Amino acid sequence: MADPPTPLPRRLWDALASLELTLISLALLMALVLLCTLAQTRLGIFGAVQIYMRSFIVWWQVPALPFRLPVFPGGVLVGLMLLFNLTAALIKRFDFTWGKSGLWIIHAGLILLIAGEFSSGAFQVETNMNIEVGQTVNFTESSRDIELTITHSKDPSHDQIYSIPASLLRRSESIAVPGTPITLRVKRYFENATLAMREQTDPASLATAGVGADVKVVAQPVVVSDNEMNQTSVFVEPVLKGQSFGTWLVSPGLAAPQTFVDEGQTYAMAMQHRRYYLPYSITLKDFRHDVYAGTDIPKNFSSLVHISHPAKNEERDVLIYMNQPLRYEGRTFYQASYGKEGKLSILQVVQNPGWTLPYISCGIITLGLLLHFGLTLRRSLQQRRAA
Amino acid sequence: MQKTNSLFLTSGLALAAALGCNRDQVQSTRVEKAAPAAMPPGHPPMGTPPAAMPAGAVPPPPQPTGGQALQWLLPKGWTTAQAGGMRFATLKPPAQGNAEVSVVTLSGPAGGELANVNRWRAQLGLPPIEAAGLASLRKVVQSKAGTVAVFEFANSGSRMVVGLLSTPAGNTWFLKLLGEDVPVNHAKPDFMKLLGTLSLG
Repeated sequence: MADPPTPLPRRLWDALASLELTLISLALLMALVLLCTLAQTRLGIFGAVQIYMRSFIVWWQVPALPFRLPVFPGGVLVGLMLLFNLTAALIKRFDFTWGKSGLWIIHAGLILLIAGEFSSGAFQVETNMNIEVGQTVNFTESSRDIELTITHSKDPSHDQIYSIPASLLRRSESIAVPGTPITLRVKRYFENATLAMREQTDPASLATAGVGADVKVVAQPVVVSDNEMNQTSVFVEPVLKGQSFGTWLVSPGLAAPQTFVDEGQTYAMAMQHRRYYLPYSITLKDFRHDVYAGTDIPKNFSSLVHISHPAKNEERDVLIYMNQPLRYEGRTFYQASYGKEGKLSILQVVQNPGWTLPYISCGIITLGLLLHFGLTLRRSLQQRRAA
Repeated sequence: MQKTNSLFLTSGLALAAALGCNRDQVQSTRVEKAAPAAMPPGHPPMGTPPAAMPAGAVPPPPQPTGGQALQWLLPKGWTTAQAGGMRFATLKPPAQGNAEVSVVTLSGPAGGELANVNRWRAQLGLPPIEAAGLASLRKVVQSKAGTVAVFEFANSGSRMVVGLLSTPAGNTWFLKLLGEDVPVNHAKPDFMKLLGTLSLG
């Protein structure tokens, strides 16, 4: 009598926990790393990582076709596959004996390592702080992400700024701005565009108010390389209490904000690098660019900054220099670059709630390896003595 | 074991959903009024980086409208770069510090003199003025391109000198020297000379 067929869920579970899936995932990861590295020459680091590593699927736009073809699993998909595979294997082969404890600890460390990478991908925010000597700054800026801001001049000393990320503009037709009577209708969104003065022969602009009425907007291919920036532009129609205030062009290519007034309240719209405001401010007191004597070879870059945190009643100086970042309130400030003949310091600011996970997981894996090696050695020595 | 499998698969789906969810939303922040300069120092330029050009008589930048393009003679030590977007050009004085000239053109009256004056004053945190107050603020520079109306404003360590020119073709040109008080004051004599060299090519 033949054995009954294995139920489908059981077969799926076995496949998910199989060593074959581990090997396939690792091979795919190696191929992705190779492809991503090669792609960096034409796409830059950011573009290549976005396309190959921070995606579920690697797509290929065939020139002759109107749609993209999936050609390879992306880093997110392969990583999830490996994460589930390792976890399933851990559960399926759960055999909590002292002899296997090293292996379990190694598995747990690997799972934590992969989970840490997902945490970084999902929650890490990388920004810059560009600060000149003597200047005080209380925000950092994304070098990639763009936002549309509506600045409401409420009182003489402060502004209320409403920030709408470009990613929200991209996929929305209408955006209600919380805390205001404004609803923003998105008429047309350009991920990248050039602006030029409109000729008489050009078709009418979508804009009916502001300088945008005189401007021609031409869509451009999206750029992803490290030294290029998309000029994200959008036509929007502010509507307040059912009344339209016209259609406006908002773009970083416009030199001035686009301003409209409702019942004496002034609202200014502009596109800018996405800002992250801090509850404290940083003043650059001094920047040093040391070189080796008699040469132009850089020896050290350092920024002497002053942190002022009124809520914590904290006032102190900190020296940030190469390999010695400032870690403060969940953010890490690295000395990244400089400009303006040494008057401008550029700090890279990284906020990653899971930054400790790689260190913890490496520690766990090391512990597991040592334990497994020690247990195997002891077993081998015991067998040798017994023989 | 079946229960463990279900729990594991559910957790996996929840993780995938969490990774897929979007954190982007409208945010509101109350901040102190921005410094008068529109761009923070060191702000990376957006769009194609301009290429520096040597000082001297500069060739006419690309034609912005159907009319004639503006030309000028660049003071010694200054550099010019053709800027993207609405900026026709950006001029940099040699003086140390934060100061630069933006050249922008718009077709038509571009809102008129009073509206622009009040817009510039607002950029520096100054209150608006009435039409009657315009004459006392306006200086005039004669050039081959026409009469240039010049306005100067200063507030909180920032200074702005703006030349406003209306051409026969109906274009309005703005040449705005903006930055910190000291470098703008240092560059101002050369900037005024530059306004006197404007011509339509």
